[in-house]
Amino acid sequence: MDGGTAEREFVERLERHRGLLVKVAAAYCREDEQREDLIQDIVVQLWSSRKRFDGRVKFSTWMYRVALNVAISAYRRKANQAAALDLGFSAVESLAAPVAVPDPEREVLFDRIDRLDPLHRALLLLYLEERSYAEIGEILGISESNVGTKIARIKQRLRHEIAAAPIV
Amino acid sequence: MQKQYDHLARLRRSLFAELVCDLAGVVLLGWFIGNFAGQLKYLVPAIALDVYAIALVVAVARQSTVLGAVDLGGAVLCVQQRLQKLRLLRIRTTLGTLLFAPLMWLPLLIVGARGVFGIDVYAAGVAWLAANVLFGLAVIPIAVFFARRYGSRLQQSSALRLLADEIAGRSLMAALRDLQQVRDFAA
Repeated sequence: MDGGTAEREFVERLERHRGLLVKVAAAYCREDEQREDLIQDIVVQLWSSRKRFDGRVKFSTWMYRVALNVAISAYRRKANQAAALDLGFSAVESLAAPVAVPDPEREVLFDRIDRLDPLHRALLLLYLEERSYAEIGEILGISESNVGTKIARIKQRLRHEIAAAPIV
Repeated sequence: MQKQYDHLARLRRSLFAELVCDLAGVVLLGWFIGNFAGQLKYLVPAIALDVYAIALVVAVARQSTVLGAVDLGGAVLCVQQRLQKLRLLRIRTTLGTLLFAPLMWLPLLIVGARGVFGIDVYAAGVAWLAANVLFGLAVIPIAVFFARRYGSRLQQSSALRLLADEIAGRSLMAALRDLQQVRDFAA
């Protein structure tokens, strides 16, 4: 396979998984413009790293890894500059079913998700994406049982916090 | 477009430029030491500067090694740990450079004036030299005071603000906090 064909194929694979990039960007950025910037940043890194993809993991797993690494790094960079770049509940909302009527309990849930650190957000994003524990572990670099434990802890924590939070 | 977005590539270029400058400093100082080996008044400040320059070369080399091991297609936790270590290393290097730089002012003046212009700074007298040493020592606490007191009033993303945050130790604290967060996730 010549270089041009390989590159075309790579771009086609990126296109097929574009939704993944949008979701990762949505999980770490509130503003449209920031989301676009982040997606562009991720695409550049995917392109730069394409020769390092050796097929040992699925293409989507590799894409998730690059996308999350870029998103978390960008998030930390912006957070350290005290920029308003954080997970809006509207972002997570886009991962779940749309809500017709504003739901205060749901807003409390998303508010609590907003407060999670970037790695736990990644974990929750992958869980909401219905990835298997094995794949989540492979993407994040933790064991399958650790994934289960962490998800259970997050659920428990969110449940407690929501129960304690006053619903306005 | 790539230039604007690829932060790691930018960092790689920046480290390379730093390494070239630091190595050039080590070479020039080696030349100076070779020429003034018999004169203690030049040899001592030149050796102090050389040690400083070599320490910078080592620091940049360590950062390059960590950066070289970063593959964004690797597992998120592992990559984030490496990136946080790299960030910590960079902040500590900058902090060390900034805090030691005022102390290096006098040796630099002595060596630079002699090596470039052929001027003997010692001829200015002991009082003048002592004043320069005191100036160097005074710069450090003054810089830390201003960075802590007024740094937060600077524009959030300005280079000056970033510098003030590093001098005040705020960047170091944030980096340590983020590294701990990654370690907690791994536990």
